[in-house]
Amino acid sequence: MSDLVTDQDRYPTLTEAGRRMIEFMREHPAAPIYRNQSGNRLTAADIEALRVFEREVLEASVGWPRGNLPSWVSGFVARTFEDVPFYRSLGSPPARFEDIPTVSRVDFAADITRFVPDSVELDRLINFRTTGTSGHPLLIASHPMVAARYLAFHKKALQRFGIELRHGRGQVGVVLLGHQRKCFTYVSVTPMMDESGFAKINLHPDDWRDPDDRARYLDALAPEVYAGDPISFAELLNISITGKPRALVSVSMLLSRGLRRRLEERFGCPVLDVYSLNEAGPVAVFDSAAAGHVLLQPMLYIEILDSAGHPLNVGERGEITLTGGFNFCLPLLRYRTGDYASLSFEVETPALVGLSGRAPVRFRVANGEWINNIDITHVLGHFSIAQFGLHQRADGGIVLRLAPSALSLVDAARAALKRLFGIQTIDLEVITAEDKIVQYTSDLESSQP
Amino acid sequence: MEQQGPILESLTRRLAETPPDFLDEPRIGAAGRVFVPALVNDLLSQYGARAKGSALMRFCGIDAKTDRNRLSLAMIAVWLLADDWFLAAKIPQADALRVLDETVAELAAATPALKFVNDADRREELARVVLARLNYRPAGETVAQATDRLSSLSMTERRRLLEASRAAERRARAIREALAKKAAEESADKWTRE
Repeated sequence: MSDLVTDQDRYPTLTEAGRRMIEFMREHPAAPIYRNQSGNRLTAADIEALRVFEREVLEASVGWPRGNLPSWVSGFVARTFEDVPFYRSLGSPPARFEDIPTVSRVDFAADITRFVPDSVELDRLINFRTTGTSGHPLLIASHPMVAARYLAFHKKALQRFGIELRHGRGQVGVVLLGHQRKCFTYVSVTPMMDESGFAKINLHPDDWRDPDDRARYLDALAPEVYAGDPISFAELLNISITGKPRALVSVSMLLSRGLRRRLEERFGCPVLDVYSLNEAGPVAVFDSAAAGHVLLQPMLYIEILDSAGHPLNVGERGEITLTGGFNFCLPLLRYRTGDYASLSFEVETPALVGLSGRAPVRFRVANGEWINNIDITHVLGHFSIAQFGLHQRADGGIVLRLAPSALSLVDAARAALKRLFGIQTIDLEVITAEDKIVQYTSDLESSQP
Repeated sequence: MEQQGPILESLTRRLAETPPDFLDEPRIGAAGRVFVPALVNDLLSQYGARAKGSALMRFCGIDAKTDRNRLSLAMIAVWLLADDWFLAAKIPQADALRVLDETVAELAAATPALKFVNDADRREELARVVLARLNYRPAGETVAQATDRLSSLSMTERRRLLEASRAAERRARAIREALAKKAAEESADKWTRE
């Protein structure tokens, strides 16, 4: 079988209208330089199954009786202990849920294959590469269906703010924004939205023939939704677009209240702050009425654990720990996320209050420009480094933090960072903490977008 | 297997009726409730002498990922060895310890502990293996019969384990290859990116 990927592979159900939409986005006179190609990879059968899934998600209530487990958990635990090699090796499922050992990114990073159920067929398996806050590089097992299921949870989040997506054939549904020196960019269509357009673009001027094309192009696309992270949304504020999206969806990093307010004022639409992880997809959306992030997934149970792994009471702050999820390639069982919050039952759906763990940081390079922490991830991601961190001092000096196991790579990592920052010296610190570190930190005042 | 042991069914019935206390969670780090070294020591004292602390170290759980199933099965084996027949037979402490340590570790390597309680074939396997390692055979069986039955059970089990282990390796390799082949950003649309 040939490894050559065709449009038929990328868009198995593409119609003439979908093809025209892709052409429109790709060939518009103000279009950015699209550097890559990708697609939804969904078959007609997938789309049918996704419609059922979406309907169930939108109709389902989310949560569980306070102080009790959701009813589906015992069956999920039994199946996971039967079907997943890692859990099979633990023996029989414990009688009490709290006795199931917790796992973390470190376990996934050690050998992700042991967490993939035996029942998953491998021919359509895909990976999401993630480094996360802890700096443990990780390949997450996934599937095109899993990626497509995100939309159901975005719709559920939007539903909370009274928005039902309308864009379909001949319109652009979402533009996914990045603002990085290097970014995977492409166009596609969303079959679940009657082939509305989907564009993943980079707002960095290097990706455009003329920086002013950014406004022209975005206005031409007039997407119903912009998705991105706080760094790309901060850049969007600098671009004179006139179009009015119906919502902005921010993921990946915590969105500051100030930036959310500025975005709401500028675009006159709700700005959703979605707590989402590669390991679990969209988990919760911020709602000021709940004073926290309200949970989105009907089949995701959340515990808050202390550092010893003991469950904490409602209202007590600890580590967010997940069970369940919609990624059938990676069922989660007491997965410690490395993020922190307390659980609240004040509104009809449980909410995470005081969520923290992934604050965005930008760094200043020698010529005074700012770069995104994702650029650091890109540069250091080339090296086989289990854990790293980067700190910028108030004088602009850079400190590279490396795990002891990665010290042999220090010269190469330093050289890459010197090129990126345009400076001559990179200081080194060895990471001595056993687990998570805050990967990106800065003493510079303007480091928070 | 030179010595005549108890009736096999008395042991398999005992296993089937393992009390909940012996199926509880072994203490591993801060988790679990049953401190297995103490359980083992209680058994050994019923045999006539407490064990040295160093001999009990193997029953201290450190990592659930490697110790939980072994210690769970050790608890079940303690219950089995506390049968009146074994107590009356005055099993040497070193032999009992070897069963609880090495034999249990072998059996726990690929079979969930609870199966040695809930599954008739596994109950028979555990009872026969424990008897054989203590140089006994079930009452009413000749050495040849007991050897045949044990090797049939063990061979089937060994074959199953070997095949399971090969299949696991094949599967892990296939997953690694499949993951390496397709980065998601080149193969799927997500409306947001974490």
